[in-house]
Amino acid sequence: MSNAIIKTQNLCKQYGSGATLVQALRGVDLEIERGSFTCIIGPSGHGKSTLMHLLGGLDQPSGGSVAIDGQEISSLSGKDLAALRACKIGFVFQFFNLLQSLTATENIEVALMLAGVPDALQQERARELLKLVGLSDKAGAKPGQLSGGQQQRVAIARALANDPPVLLMDEPTGNLDSAAEAEVMAVLEELNRGGKTLILVTHSNEIAARAGNLIRVRDGLIEQNPALDQQLKKIA
Amino acid sequence: MTPNKLVFKNITRRRGRFIFTLLGIVIGMASFVTFMALGGSLKSEIERESAALGANLVVTPKGSCAYEQVSILTGEQLPTTITAEEVASIRAIEGIQAIPYLAERSAIDSRPVSVMGILPAETKEFKGWQITAGAYFPTENADGAVLGSVLAEQFKLLPGSEVRIRGTMIPVLGVLEETGGKDDLTVFLSMPVAQQLYKQQDRVSYVAVRVDKIEEVDLYALKIKDQVSLGVVSDKQMLNSVLGIVGTVNMTLQLIAAVAILAAAFGIVNTMMTATYERKREIGILQAMGAARSTIFKLFMLESAIYGLLGGIGGALLGLAGSHFAAPYISQNAATSFVKGAQSSIDPLMLLGAVLFSTLVAIVSGLYPAWKAAKLSPVEAISYE
Repeated sequence: MSNAIIKTQNLCKQYGSGATLVQALRGVDLEIERGSFTCIIGPSGHGKSTLMHLLGGLDQPSGGSVAIDGQEISSLSGKDLAALRACKIGFVFQFFNLLQSLTATENIEVALMLAGVPDALQQERARELLKLVGLSDKAGAKPGQLSGGQQQRVAIARALANDPPVLLMDEPTGNLDSAAEAEVMAVLEELNRGGKTLILVTHSNEIAARAGNLIRVRDGLIEQNPALDQQLKKIA
Repeated sequence: MTPNKLVFKNITRRRGRFIFTLLGIVIGMASFVTFMALGGSLKSEIERESAALGANLVVTPKGSCAYEQVSILTGEQLPTTITAEEVASIRAIEGIQAIPYLAERSAIDSRPVSVMGILPAETKEFKGWQITAGAYFPTENADGAVLGSVLAEQFKLLPGSEVRIRGTMIPVLGVLEETGGKDDLTVFLSMPVAQQLYKQQDRVSYVAVRVDKIEEVDLYALKIKDQVSLGVVSDKQMLNSVLGIVGTVNMTLQLIAAVAILAAAFGIVNTMMTATYERKREIGILQAMGAARSTIFKLFMLESAIYGLLGGIGGALLGLAGSHFAAPYISQNAATSFVKGAQSSIDPLMLLGAVLFSTLVAIVSGLYPAWKAAKLSPVEAISYE
């Protein structure tokens, strides 16, 4: 039996029509192993973000299929897809995307609320998660009072709120300095060791070099390039 | 975190916009509640005055319209075309009690008051008046005034003092016990004294008629018409036509208030649309975290409903204060003069209705913005910068 947590077959995504038709993905087949650390790399505009959106169930494919934890998403209703996102996927974005009017704890509580966790149980869980990312002392701080690295760690804690098996991240260190990047990567690698599947879109060779798996996207397709992979391993 | 807490945090994020949008609905609802409260007072006051008149039939000058009927109930000045002979003919009919009134106006300390010429003994019996201070008219043509209780208190007039009516100082004989109606705000003079003061020799304004057998009221109306060429209206007809006039006035006022509420509703639409654009990215984040479209829709609807609920409560309270303070100032014309001192008819159900109505208006106003927010695709919302 396959140990793939995410599997795509001939995955296609196109935008627009006629003269404005854009083929963002043109038949992607991939399998991501449970508990792996995968980086999606490639030049800008070649389909990395589109692939990430499809792998996370944020968008529906134009063709082909995506299965998340054995569940085919193209047949799911919007409501079921939302429920799947709440339980199976944790998203982390480049610009943190915390809700600015809420404290660190409250940001995590929102994710719990959306998954239907009762109000009374939310605070305890939020406290645990902030401890996990080393921010117990910032529970009452609003995003504006936190550094970039701290905000991203709150965003990771939020993504982990409902204990999803997969963390899907779009350039999570793209907006951080080296020290903050190191902090965030340390947290992520610890989570990976704990069994979380990490999928990370990045432009950074240093980060890609630390991943167990590399998916190179070029012109809407997966590109096999063993020579480049070798080079990255050397960096690592 | 609960949806309510999240919405409350969102709604108070832009305090200025929150307050101004809320003020719009508060003011709209306040005007609505004020007019509703005054309208409610008007109706109950009219019914009370009609009962206080104590008549089954009212004889008015020929050609009187509903406006004169309003004036009878409010104590406004009326044309005095009914002659002493006509009064005598009516009073000669058996089986009825007919009481003539001369309704005039005067001013005390530059404030308008009703002056009523009456037949002292018969009117006292007809109305069931009691004296609370001083004495009543000793004779049918006694020189002096008996005052309504509110008027006496308002102008600090006690038995023994004098009141100036049409330039003549008239001694105050006594003060009536409170009746709760317009009689409390009236100066009563004996008929001959009133007729002389107002130069209306042998003339009266209207005649109130009580029939012994209520089931024959229509028959008596015809009998009176046979005797004199005057208008005869039953108390029920009068009540209906007066309520009709006041209802129209009331409806107009409420329509104006409805326009204010409509404007406030568009204020909510505007605020919620702005919130939708401003929070586009946040909507995407919520969707990524697992919020279904229906959840986004509900959060935005809840936000507009809160505007309606708070606006309704604020509007109801401000409206109550408005009707309390506005009533004395708008009681200077016939249609609204019933509201004098009549704030007691505020109905808690009406207030609850106003709050519910305001919430409903806000919910309807929030539909379009909430739909716009809910139909955003997660990718579009997240990619918004």
